Amino acid sequence: MKQLSAVLAIVGALVGALGLSTQALAVDEPENVIKYRQAVMKAIGGHMASIAGVVKGEVSYTDHVAIHANGINALSKAVTAVFPEGTDNGSHKTAALPKIWEDWAGFEKAAQALDTASANLASVAASGDKQKVAAAFGDLGKACGGCHKPYRAKN
Amino acid sequence: MRYPRKGKGRGLRRVWSNLARVAALSVIGLVVLARSAAAQGDATKGEYLFRAAGCYACHTRPVSGARPLAGGRALETPFGTFYSPNITPDPDHGIGRWGLADFARALRLGEAPDGSHYFPAFPFPSYSGMRDRDLADLWAYLKGVDPFPEPNREHELNFPFGFRFLAGLWKWLFFQPGSFEPDPARDALWNRGAYLARHLSHCGECHTPRNLLGAPQGDRHLAGTLKGPDGKKVPNITPHSGDGIGDWSESDITFFLQLGVLPNGDVAGGAMEDVIREGTGHLTEQDRKAIAVYLKSLRQHPGP
Repeated sequence: MKQLSAVLAIVGALVGALGLSTQALAVDEPENVIKYRQAVMKAIGGHMASIAGVVKGEVSYTDHVAIHANGINALSKAVTAVFPEGTDNGSHKTAALPKIWEDWAGFEKAAQALDTASANLASVAASGDKQKVAAAFGDLGKACGGCHKPYRAKN
Repeated sequence: MRYPRKGKGRGLRRVWSNLARVAALSVIGLVVLARSAAAQGDATKGEYLFRAAGCYACHTRPVSGARPLAGGRALETPFGTFYSPNITPDPDHGIGRWGLADFARALRLGEAPDGSHYFPAFPFPSYSGMRDRDLADLWAYLKGVDPFPEPNREHELNFPFGFRFLAGLWKWLFFQPGSFEPDPARDALWNRGAYLARHLSHCGECHTPRNLLGAPQGDRHLAGTLKGPDGKKVPNITPHSGDGIGDWSESDITFFLQLGVLPNGDVAGGAMEDVIREGTGHLTEQDRKAIAVYLKSLRQHPGP
């Protein structure tokens, strides 16, 4: 019995170590990472489209602006992680340009801008000032463009 | 709108009559314009028109710290690379020695003060329809911006497109100067939108596909192209559902022209981002709405 638990413990430790190393080395299939990444981007886009409906005045969920801005802010912290090397458009069906990895510092800075702009919108939203909210939303859109323009292939 | 003038019983007579019109416009139009509006342009209104006409984005290099309106922005086309000129009032490198008549001649007829032809990379075929008053106001604004002595860069065109006389031939074939004629069957908002979209804001210069000689295909007005400026795809903005923006509401378009956010939450890319940031984002809500109303009224085209 003792022997069996020892064996199980060793096996468990090995599996655990393997699991950890799997995560650390990011051996997820590039296609799956890309699929996941696109879902993350769509989630951000969903928040953007939702805020747009409020800013346009089509719906009156003004208190939701902060919720969506915070949602984008949370996702902004996941942006750089979903761009592991080897997931560019050279060998895969994605719009991610190799420039992302050639200019990683610039890419990180652009992702940071999304963090800042979304946090700003979340705080401005609390003020309820429509003009300020629209301006902050415009800045957030520019932060999206700040990454898309240099690092995303156009069609 | 101008249609490529080829075939179907439109022969030399039409060409001659157009030449006569060009001549008449250049002489009478410019003299009248220079006399009536010369000293009275309103620079404040001009600044607004400057935004609507999108001058900044093409005449300023897209790098931080670039001198506004000092030119040098590259525009890649199938004919080669054009570099926009300096339009600050610098007397040697800019347009500091120009008068209103020179400015009007450039925008209305695509001609430099020395009579040479501009290539249609400069959207004079659209600007040609600009109202006298707007032209004078725009000039009043432009001559007041900070001058900067940036020398102009020569275009790098593929053989044989570098010959300027070919630009003259192109105009002879495809260009018809004229002013905007409001459509009395439409309301004021639509007409304002048509004036902005077709002339001042020159949407068609990028969004209308061109033929092999670079002339806009009038029967595909704003239907988009796979090979726009810089070799990039330019979207179809006719109300075609699926290929165009038929699923966009009027407020979707208005909002997009203000902040650059698409209905799906994505943002404008490429040159349109500059157009919005430096241009349409500064327009009044009413003018953006006018453009939206006009676009929604267009004939639907599939493609590109």
